Amino acid sequence: MTPDSISLLRLFQLADSALPIGGSAHSFGLETLVEEGGLEPNGVEDFLRGYLEECGRLEAAFIRLAWEGSNLAQLNLEYGARKLARESREASLKLGRRFVELVNAFIDAPVLDSGLYYCIAFGAAGAVLGIDKNTTALAYLHQSVAGLISACQRLMALGQVAAGKILWRLKPVLARAAENEEVWCFSPFPELASMRHGLLETRLFIS
Amino acid sequence: MSLCFAQNRVRVTRQDPPWKVVRAFRQPGAGTLVHLNNVSGGVLAGDRLALDVEVEAGFSAQITTTGATRLYRHRPGSDDSEQRATFRVGERGLLEYLPDPLIPYAGSRHAQRTDIRLAAGACLFWWEVLAPGRQAFGESFAFERLRIETQILAENRPLLHERFLLEPRKRPMAVTARIGLYSYVASLYVCQSGRPPAFWRDLEDELNRLAQERTCHSEVLWGASMLQSDGLIVRGLSTSQCFIPGPLTDFWRLARKAVTGEDAVPPRKVY
Repeated sequence: MTPDSISLLRLFQLADSALPIGGSAHSFGLETLVEEGGLEPNGVEDFLRGYLEECGRLEAAFIRLAWEGSNLAQLNLEYGARKLARESREASLKLGRRFVELVNAFIDAPVLDSGLYYCIAFGAAGAVLGIDKNTTALAYLHQSVAGLISACQRLMALGQVAAGKILWRLKPVLARAAENEEVWCFSPFPELASMRHGLLETRLFIS
Repeated sequence: MSLCFAQNRVRVTRQDPPWKVVRAFRQPGAGTLVHLNNVSGGVLAGDRLALDVEVEAGFSAQITTTGATRLYRHRPGSDDSEQRATFRVGERGLLEYLPDPLIPYAGSRHAQRTDIRLAAGACLFWWEVLAPGRQAFGESFAFERLRIETQILAENRPLLHERFLLEPRKRPMAVTARIGLYSYVASLYVCQSGRPPAFWRDLEDELNRLAQERTCHSEVLWGASMLQSDGLIVRGLSTSQCFIPGPLTDFWRLARKAVTGEDAVPPRKVY
């Protein structure tokens, strides 16, 4: 199935960083990594490559399951059991809640239930809008990585061109991650960074 | 191997090599301690081990090992070694599982699956340490494949589900998205069904204060987080095994006191 033009344009809107769901307020542990010296500008691309191979693949698997119409409440519990860091888990819930409110408002019908994690809400929205599974996962991961790069730009000396080049070069990794259907993930360092975020003396981000 | 803890006794309902339990020890209070001994010294290529533990309602069990779990090199023609463990804790029961580290030797291939099911009010303290290999032999993530799956359910609700596949040759470990420049991963899971979220949030804060005290960025990093319900995790990354046991025991002691109101009783062994 190929998304028709209107559906595709709707997807662009939902995956746009300008969508007012509060994504720019979250770093998902990046702020701690940068503050504690675990991440520097020349390591951002490698970090995001590894991030996509672990967390990106996990989220893609859940997007695809949500798109396929699995029991969303159960899927939500399963995803929550894999998000061990409270701040990142709560961030995903907040973004998901706001995303659902917006989609329901745009469509003018309660097509999505509240209380879903962001990736699960996004996968379910893709199905509702008639956008194919892979394109939905691609759009989610693209906005997710773009959001992390944007957070890096606010946390370290990473210029616009360098940031754009990173996102440009990551697209093949992103495309591979979006196809994943296996629920594996190993990312203790970013998880630990998220757990330690509340210990930072000053914080720019909520998570 | 099948063990059942009830009435302050241990019933060994099945015991096949290489696992062996020699005897149980009475713990101060009402608990029973068992040392799980692998008489072959490790897990050999093609081994398929199964461990089934039941703690009956209201009873307490502490299980430890007599040494590290060594995963030996894969032999061509053999299947990946496998260990499946199931733990069931009855209402108001308590399980403490405090094994020595898991050490995957160079060339090993292993799959480990652990299912823990807690009934209402049941309590869990569980730690595990994953080593990069035999560091004294210069091994660091030289194993071929390691699959680990750990699932904790409380009254059938998933609290924690960790599932990872490590193939260091295909996906290097020393990247920031995985473990960075650290080489050991330590975890402590603390769960009790029925506690309100505010209890876990307060304990998370307390454990994070201790985590900050025990952290030295060039050596070891600690943090704590409440799970989606009924529990929390303390996680550590370390450059060496020697930075782990002390802090891990401190986290366990603090959490044990907060959750049960009782002091932790370390396993009867010399570290």
